Amino acid sequence: MPKSRQALLVKRKNLSSWLLSLPTMLWLLLFFLIPYLIVIIYSFLSPDIYDVKFEFSLDAYRQIFSGDYLRPFLLSFKLAIYTTLLCLILGFPVAYYIARASEKLKNTLLIFIIIPFWTNLIIRIFSWRIFLSYKGVMNDVLLKLGLIHAPLEVMRTDLAVILVMVYVYLPYMILPLYSVLEKLDFTLLNAAMDLGANEVKAFFRITLPLAVEGIFAGTLLVFIPALGAYLIPQLVGNQSSLYIGQVITYKIKNIPRNWPMASALSLTLLFLVALLLLLMYALYRRRLAHRYKS
Amino acid sequence: MSTTTPRIYKGLNLTIFSLVMVFLYIPILILIIFSFNDSRIITGWQGFTTKYYVQLFNNPTIATAFRNTMLIAGLSTLISTSLGVMAALALENTKFKARKGFLALIYTPLVIPDILMGVSLALLFNFTRVNTGMVTVLIAHVTFCISYTVIVIQSRLEGFDYSLVEAAQDLGAKPHYIFWKIKFPLMLPGIIAAALLAFTLSIDDFIITFFTSGRGFDTLPIYVEGTIRRGTITTINALSTLMIAFTLFLVVVTKRIRKIIISAL
Repeated sequence: MPKSRQALLVKRKNLSSWLLSLPTMLWLLLFFLIPYLIVIIYSFLSPDIYDVKFEFSLDAYRQIFSGDYLRPFLLSFKLAIYTTLLCLILGFPVAYYIARASEKLKNTLLIFIIIPFWTNLIIRIFSWRIFLSYKGVMNDVLLKLGLIHAPLEVMRTDLAVILVMVYVYLPYMILPLYSVLEKLDFTLLNAAMDLGANEVKAFFRITLPLAVEGIFAGTLLVFIPALGAYLIPQLVGNQSSLYIGQVITYKIKNIPRNWPMASALSLTLLFLVALLLLLMYALYRRRLAHRYKS
Repeated sequence: MSTTTPRIYKGLNLTIFSLVMVFLYIPILILIIFSFNDSRIITGWQGFTTKYYVQLFNNPTIATAFRNTMLIAGLSTLISTSLGVMAALALENTKFKARKGFLALIYTPLVIPDILMGVSLALLFNFTRVNTGMVTVLIAHVTFCISYTVIVIQSRLEGFDYSLVEAAQDLGAKPHYIFWKIKFPLMLPGIIAAALLAFTLSIDDFIITFFTSGRGFDTLPIYVEGTIRRGTITTINALSTLMIAFTLFLVVVTKRIRKIIISAL
């Protein structure tokens, strides 16, 4: 093919790429990037009962930096850490079990993991309320079995929030773990044990390092939504200790509204998430470099 | 096989797997059973009834919420999947100058908590003085679905066998003929998977809808949340059971598509 013709073809291909990507680019520019610009602007305005006043103010940031909202942030981080750890501890054996099952069984087992994931979120939360509430099924059964003498008060506690969070986000951890464990060469484990490594050592030296990509992906998929959780704390949590997602929502929805505060809190959350992503990316890069060296 | 995993592990893994299964399904089972319970409150078994299903079908608010949910899900699936097909075709060209930036723009919404998209869109609609309602909810749903549809369709294109296209070109086929007769049919499973994912995400969404729907435009999740908050929950069990049945129906019908979604994730 002559050079000029090839250049023309590349040019035409690029033009069609521009045309094909333009609608999506514009959509995301208008409804994803520009809205954040407005959040930034609103965070420097003054609150009004129903709206915002277009007067410059640093009050929102002043309040955040003086630590007024430290508690909800800490609570949300704690929730995200617990949820991620529990999902990992429960999800790893499950993913491992599915990855080692026979080909036929694998798909069936995966469907069983995915069905709850496809069931409406609010309905799954609601079913936990039926299960956990003071006069709910769990207390009913435990009382009848004589295991407890008074109903347990689990509903409206931080424990209930963690429990339901783990329930909802477990599939998000299992699926990426499964996809790396499925590709894992299990003969390596055999070799290690033939060479005298015990099971624990083989797990920590072989299985775990090779599953790191899945752990990273699963952690991202669980930790980040957990930081912004609103619905689960709202429906099963203790209303006297609010998570940051609830605080932001109240500032937007409840009257008197405080949109500058909601904006500043949102940006703080965004900043923390970005920091976390950078940290994880750095860790990931270091691991890759480490692997190529050895 | 039996030699590679130590027996203790196998036992432990099976135990945890079984416990997780119980954990995942007990609440759903309870919900289904209680939808037939003849009691105004959620405690104790008071006898079998189907009256909540009858009430459900006679409730005009639920009917409207259901219609709204399906309308939004259908339209946002259509728009986000169409945009996804175009974007995936653009990304196929690895020499495309804006490729890296475009990919970053597509991936970013996925690593930001949902609630922030809700807040930012709520403020956008306030700033522009747009009345919230069906259109704003639709815009929001398309926005959070696009990233998923592009990624699912694009991941299918990555394993694409270009020798088929080249063979057709050598035989003198026109570009649009090649697209519709060869490329599109091969992309179709990915497109269906993307559409299904968008549809599920849309009917499932609460938080972003909560921020972008005005009063008087409720989707099912918004209606259900309001009902739970007000404590009038008798028909919610029945509604939930039907929604679970709908999910199972989707899962069974779309056996092949599910595989593609798994491989894309």
